[in-house]
Amino acid sequence: MGKLPDRIIAIFAEIGQAVYFLGEVLACVTRGRIRWTQVLRQIYEQGAQSLVIVALTALASGMVLALQGYVALARFGAKEYVSSLVALSLTRELGPVFTALIFSGKAGGRIAAELGTMSVNDQILGTRAMGVDPVEFLIVPRLLACCAVVPLLTVIAELVGISGGYLIGVTQAHIPAGFYISQTIKSVTYVDFFSGLIKVVFFGLIIGWTCCYQGYRTSGGSLGVGRYTTQAVAYSYIFVILANAGLTKLILSVWG
Amino acid sequence: MIGIVNLCKRFGEQTVLDHVNLEIRPGEIFFILGGSGSGKSVLLKHMLGLLRPDSGRVLINDQDITAMPEEQLLRVRAGAGYLFQDGALYDFMNVFDNVAFPLREHTRLPGAQIRERVREVLVSLDLKGVENKMPAELSGGMKKRVGLGRAIILGAKILFCDEPTSGLVPIRSRDISDLIRQVARRLNCTTVVTSHDMRNAFRIADRLALLQDGRIAALGTRPEWEHSANPAVQAFLQ
Ligand SMILES: Nc1ncnc2c1ncn2[C@@H]1O[C@H](COP(=O)(O)OP(=O)(O)OP(=O)(O)O)[C@@H](O)[C@H]1O
Ligand SMILES: [Mg+2]
Repeated sequence: MGKLPDRIIAIFAEIGQAVYFLGEVLACVTRGRIRWTQVLRQIYEQGAQSLVIVALTALASGMVLALQGYVALARFGAKEYVSSLVALSLTRELGPVFTALIFSGKAGGRIAAELGTMSVNDQILGTRAMGVDPVEFLIVPRLLACCAVVPLLTVIAELVGISGGYLIGVTQAHIPAGFYISQTIKSVTYVDFFSGLIKVVFFGLIIGWTCCYQGYRTSGGSLGVGRYTTQAVAYSYIFVILANAGLTKLILSVWG
Repeated sequence: MIGIVNLCKRFGEQTVLDHVNLEIRPGEIFFILGGSGSGKSVLLKHMLGLLRPDSGRVLINDQDITAMPEEQLLRVRAGAGYLFQDGALYDFMNVFDNVAFPLREHTRLPGAQIRERVREVLVSLDLKGVENKMPAELSGGMKKRVGLGRAIILGAKILFCDEPTSGLVPIRSRDISDLIRQVARRLNCTTVVTSHDMRNAFRIADRLALLQDGRIAALGTRPEWEHSANPAVQAFLQ
């Protein structure tokens, strides 16, 4: 732990390096250096790995939302609106944020650990030594996959969560099934859905960027892998939460 | 030919390379010897542009690679092979895919020919029947041989080997050293090896250099080394 000015300089140097790293990734992407088979493979691995836990969390959240919402709304004699409450909470806020946080922990941690291990075992250096750009071969597919998988998982989470709410709404709150469904469809506008989806694309980018960068720069053997992986997950969490606050404010002020 | 001119490299406060000058001749097997932490690996990495020097130049066939952008360097590296200390094999690919990797990246050979080439190389390295194993299932010596196979599959004109014998029992060390010599003669490639294993270095080297305190403390053929009065050499031979 150095003196304060040194620490601040170090932080800025760090940010600079992370931005430079993203620049390299984007340079690859814009020049069309995208290995689609690798991207698909990553999409499959990351998606398959997080699907069950995301769905479970969404189901539970949808049910809990409906239970709580039903109790609260019943006090105002407005229990029919529980469907709108569930659908809007999930599409606007909970679906995107929960999915992104879970994805950070599962897929993000895995990305950082994989790349970190490759880094300390000279596999990344080895890639360069064989005349292959490691950013193109290892980073771009993972990062692009994040940007695709997080929105995909979010949509699934929203559907599952709404179904969970439906179960509770129909069985516990005794709202007629047809009414619940039509009310759900009526209450979620394009704006609600896409404002959530826009956020989520950013979350995917943020998670992919953070975890790929932390993994890529890992050094210091297995200790380093542990350290940079936990760091990757912690930073992803923080950045997702901060970005969510910022983007929500921005989107609300544009779209209301 | 590889030329190293006044190469300097520091990490923070630590000077690792301090005006290193070397000339490695075409087709020779050249050893860089030195104690642990003397900077052998760092020097080797500079020879293929994997590290950038603070000052000085590295010339490969009269091309200054220190001035090259990474993109151009990638093409230079495709013509060279680099054997890392632990093989640096991709642990998410099996042995076959690891060895085939450079072929798939840098040639347009059809699958059947790639299989043929990989088999050939694996057989020549005494690695029959391991194609489908994952690197984690291999012994240290096998990993190095697979790494060597991957390094030479494109018919490297230059071969770099970082500590090919470290971590191996003496008999395996001798085997891999002999393999390196065989491969180097067959491909007629310029070979640079780092090591602190005197015995095997003497076994296969054409010339040897001693890296000490960031400088080349001694340089010569094997007989020259054996009869050297240089105190640094004498100390190292002990
Ligand atoms: N990336 C790096 N950052 C900081 N210091 C480094 C780095 N790489 C190497 N060093 C330092 O440079 C010195 C030389 O390292 P190098 O790996 O070249 O030694 P070596 O001669 O290959 O040793 P060994 O025989 O143990 O492999 C060491 O003191 C090491 O701490
Ligand atoms: Mg070394």
